[in-house]
Amino acid sequence: MYRLSKLRFGFPIGLFLLLLLDGSISQSFSVQLFHYPSAMVSHLVVLWLVCGAIFEADQGEAYPMPLAVWAAIAGAVFDLYYTGIFGVYVFVFPVVIYVTRRLVLYIRPNFLSGLLIYFIDITIVEALGYLASRAIHLTTMSGSSFLVNTLGPTLAFNLAMFVILYFPIRWVYNWLK
Amino acid sequence: MQKFSFNRRLVIIIVCLIVSFALMTVSVTIRNKKSTPPLIQQFGNDIVGLVDRVVALPANGLSGSVSSISELLNTYQENQQLKQQVSELAQTKVRDQTLAKENKQLKKELKLNASLTDYTAVSAAVITRTPSSWQNQVVINKGSAAGVQKNMPVMSGSGLIGRIAEVNKTNSKVELITDNNDSANRFAVQITTKSGTTVNGVLSGYKSTTGQITMDNITTKAKLSKGDKVVTSGLGGVTPKGLYVGTVAKASGSDYGLATKLYITPATDLSSLNVVTVAVTKQ
Repeated sequence: MYRLSKLRFGFPIGLFLLLLLDGSISQSFSVQLFHYPSAMVSHLVVLWLVCGAIFEADQGEAYPMPLAVWAAIAGAVFDLYYTGIFGVYVFVFPVVIYVTRRLVLYIRPNFLSGLLIYFIDITIVEALGYLASRAIHLTTMSGSSFLVNTLGPTLAFNLAMFVILYFPIRWVYNWLK
Repeated sequence: MQKFSFNRRLVIIIVCLIVSFALMTVSVTIRNKKSTPPLIQQFGNDIVGLVDRVVALPANGLSGSVSSISELLNTYQENQQLKQQVSELAQTKVRDQTLAKENKQLKKELKLNASLTDYTAVSAAVITRTPSSWQNQVVINKGSAAGVQKNMPVMSGSGLIGRIAEVNKTNSKVELITDNNDSANRFAVQITTKSGTTVNGVLSGYKSTTGQITMDNITTKAKLSKGDKVVTSGLGGVTPKGLYVGTVAKASGSDYGLATKLYITPATDLSSLNVVTVAVTKQ
């Protein structure tokens, strides 16, 4: 069924659109988002991936998507184009897919439990990204200031985005199916 | 069977971790040592950059129109102030032209081809910004095809904002001086004090709570005062002499009390960048 649906092309197009939109949002609203010392980092691409996993679980076995592969490709583009350090998000994004797929086995996904799952996923993305950056001396930020200045605002921004975009993305997904 | 699958998962996780660290180390090494990234990475970045220009166009256009409406509100007051500045600027510009011409003639007589102050300006538009809280990077739409090379200084408005960190064919990454990693903001600068003595030094970091650039380990007896202008000194590398960095905000004793530590207010607003200028020097 997946092989015949529009999702086969629609999912990667949406993925790359949101990946590039992350950068555009950071650029256009840099005054509001990167208000020193706190920083809100937009992760729309993670939202698209997580929503893919949630709606996939909602549909049952009829539409299994190669989500981990797309996540790795999106992570590779993120690494090469945005950060210039290859080998961080190319592993982090598939981990997010893996965690989400494990979680939806235990929690029946809907809007509110999706919010909870997305909270965990964003924490994983930011925490692993921070640990990797500390390991290769890209940042000297202390752990406590990471929690207060980056993780907190980023979670707030991305959960707000989840609330706004959950239903539109579900509509797009059902249309593509 | 249960035990076997657990072990296998552990092995996969460890292998992934090792591969990840190896890849990160390799890319950091390439970034520090080589002047351009590997060809395949350049090619990929060029293609993504091309697609990104199409995506970024409506997004940046939208934010541009929003900011132009908000700017319309205080246009009148700004206009009054700017008119005054323009008349002063015309005077300075004419004088600058005359001096540049004289300078050129004198250099010719001395058979001096390129000095530290010579550079050509390549202006570029900002396509996108890295969505990351510690990597303050922007991607600009000029690359090695336009003569941009790694480590060249980048300016916006009146002051220095960063240096080129990675060059592709048609786009390049700029690391802003607000970035606090090991190599981001080490520019050789000099300050001319009110009494006329010149103090040399190197920028050492960025203090994000106050938005000021720091400059450490200054061992001079000259008295530095608030408002002294900080410019690049042109020593050691591709940065030309005389790029404006900012003004001295505060001078205090450094962490160990032996040397002076300076806080510099940057000349440009570093959070909103749309058009930047790359100072391309002949090497």
